[in-house]
Amino acid sequence: MTMNGSTSQAPTSAEVASMPSPDARAGEIVVEGVTKRFSEVTAVDDVSITIPGGEFFSMLGPSGCGKTTTLRMIAGFETPDVGRIVLQGTDVTAVPPAKRNVNMVFQAYGLFPHMSVSENIAFGPKIKRLGREETRQRVSEVIATVRLEGFEDRRPGQLSGGQQQRVALARALVNRPAALLLDEPLGALDLKLRKEMQLELKDLQQRTGTTFVYVTHDQEEAMTMSDRIAVMHDGVVEQLASPRELYQRPASAFVAGFIGTSNLIELRVDRREGGLIAMDLGEGQRILAVDPGLGGTDPITITVRPEWIKLASGDVDGRASHVGGTVVDAVYLGSVTQLIVLLHTGERLTVHRLNDEVGAEEPRPGAHVTLHWAAEHSYVVGSSVDRTDPRTTGEPTEETAARTGR
Amino acid sequence: MAAATGTIERAAPRARGSGRGALGILFAPVTLLVVLFLAPMVIMGSMSLLRFPPNTASGYTLEHYTDVLTNPLNWKIAWTTIWIGTTAMVIMLAIALPLAYYMVFRAGSWELFLLLSLVLADELAPVVKIYAWQVILGRNGIVNWLIPGPPKSWLLFSPFAVIVTLAATYITYTTIPIYAAMKAIDPSMFESAIDLGAGWWVQSRRILIPLAAPGIFIAMILVYIPMLTDFVTADIVGGTGSYMMGQRVRDLILGSGDWGAGSALNLIMLVLSVAFSLLAYRLARLNRIQT
Repeated sequence: MTMNGSTSQAPTSAEVASMPSPDARAGEIVVEGVTKRFSEVTAVDDVSITIPGGEFFSMLGPSGCGKTTTLRMIAGFETPDVGRIVLQGTDVTAVPPAKRNVNMVFQAYGLFPHMSVSENIAFGPKIKRLGREETRQRVSEVIATVRLEGFEDRRPGQLSGGQQQRVALARALVNRPAALLLDEPLGALDLKLRKEMQLELKDLQQRTGTTFVYVTHDQEEAMTMSDRIAVMHDGVVEQLASPRELYQRPASAFVAGFIGTSNLIELRVDRREGGLIAMDLGEGQRILAVDPGLGGTDPITITVRPEWIKLASGDVDGRASHVGGTVVDAVYLGSVTQLIVLLHTGERLTVHRLNDEVGAEEPRPGAHVTLHWAAEHSYVVGSSVDRTDPRTTGEPTEETAARTGR
Repeated sequence: MAAATGTIERAAPRARGSGRGALGILFAPVTLLVVLFLAPMVIMGSMSLLRFPPNTASGYTLEHYTDVLTNPLNWKIAWTTIWIGTTAMVIMLAIALPLAYYMVFRAGSWELFLLLSLVLADELAPVVKIYAWQVILGRNGIVNWLIPGPPKSWLLFSPFAVIVTLAATYITYTTIPIYAAMKAIDPSMFESAIDLGAGWWVQSRRILIPLAAPGIFIAMILVYIPMLTDFVTADIVGGTGSYMMGQRVRDLILGSGDWGAGSALNLIMLVLSVAFSLLAYRLARLNRIQT
């Protein structure tokens, strides 16, 4: 399947003028300073996102964070109060959904129960009057793409959840949209099927080269499939980055907490030495972090991933954090054992201990343990967001920066 | 009670599992059906076949049927009844479809209010409602008062008045089944359709109407049949041009005392009604959706 993007519709002269070269912006979506209010509630607050063509882009966040509203504004089902939606270089803010070259896959699928699989898929092409032969060819092509051969004459009610999902995808893809918008499309499926469909979606996206904009509240789902993820909270983009970057260098405490498991520690700056900042806990115990160079003595929020914290068996490196505590809970999770360690300061740390040794002795609740981790693994939240990345237009606003310092 | 026990005991050897309980539960309604529905039906059937009803010694004949079917007056009345009924049905569907759509998908908190209004409108005494239309459509009525120029005499005691009044009387029974059918439609289907480029016309024709079809057919069964046998409406607001089948049967039996012709005509209408119901039921089932 080829992506025909901006060349699929005869562009008006105004559109041509605003498009330097037709293909450079194929599949590109720009959300520009968009705000949307529902009576008293600001659902989306001055959000700017640039999604280059062919990207698998996710908007991730808890319910009510504005991700679905943003998606529906891209689709045209909602109109922004402020800001613009630019699709392939053309301002479509005031264009109705039917006239935008994007298609949406809904959480409930919205399949037509009285039509067969192929009638469902042919719905769009028929409305666009593509002609009998063209429609037939496109339908069979897209049925092959989503691997639904042999199911053409079934009704949606006779299909499994995963198959219905594929019909919904095919029905959108058959229109050869510049971008496919997916609103929690796997929400109705069970865990195992969801995991299979995640890989299938990613594969489908790569084969078709279509821009996918994916909305989900499931961080693992977003991490599995996306090239980049916008983490949203209270209507703003907290951080827009690759999955790796989000995990390793969260821009805010919210992102650190939302992506994976994280220990958030309020670090009091007791001393500075050798490019490190330290909080002393007495008895030689300390928590170290690389000095972000902010100066001052205000407390700094750091995040430590549970798998970076090790149980000490000998001497601890001078550049490592070093704390003692009591195991209050040990949960065997298969590949790791999760320990909850209570420090004498009253803080609790979550530690993941890799189970890579058969018969290794495990700490039990009540056991006293010494923990350590490298200063580099105490990540100072929000300290190194790459503001020079040209694609990261969803950089933290003043508001999120303020949040970070909390 | 003794009869009930007897029925259960006799049926027991054949009944399997829950069949025994079902027979007990069904006893009362089945009895009512036999006494109140089947018995009068049998009496009417025999009336239509007796040479001089209600004299059972006069012998049996099919004469009443041939008389009724060869009388051109009956055909003329049948035609009047059908076109008045069908026009009223079309008007009701034209109102009920958008109304039900509005109630289900747009009304929001007004949905219950509209539903209750429809039900309450039906609860009013029918004769009172029909007389109200005399006030509305009469020579010195509200409509003539609103429309400039000389009073329009065709508003009342005419087929027009009968159609309007029938449509108003049966609107509840048209709207509620369609409302129920639409209630089962997932609203995301319309958003999908819009997303795929469908305007309101395509949405209505290819999604809303096919999915509401079972409700439409049920409404037609519920409304068409009583409408075709209705005589009160035509009596009160109708004129000479709107003489309907219900009035004809009533006048044959109560006016001329012609029990034979009245019963034969009534049975023919019954058979046609059942055929119509079966057809509509079949169409409704064909469109039933598996989800």
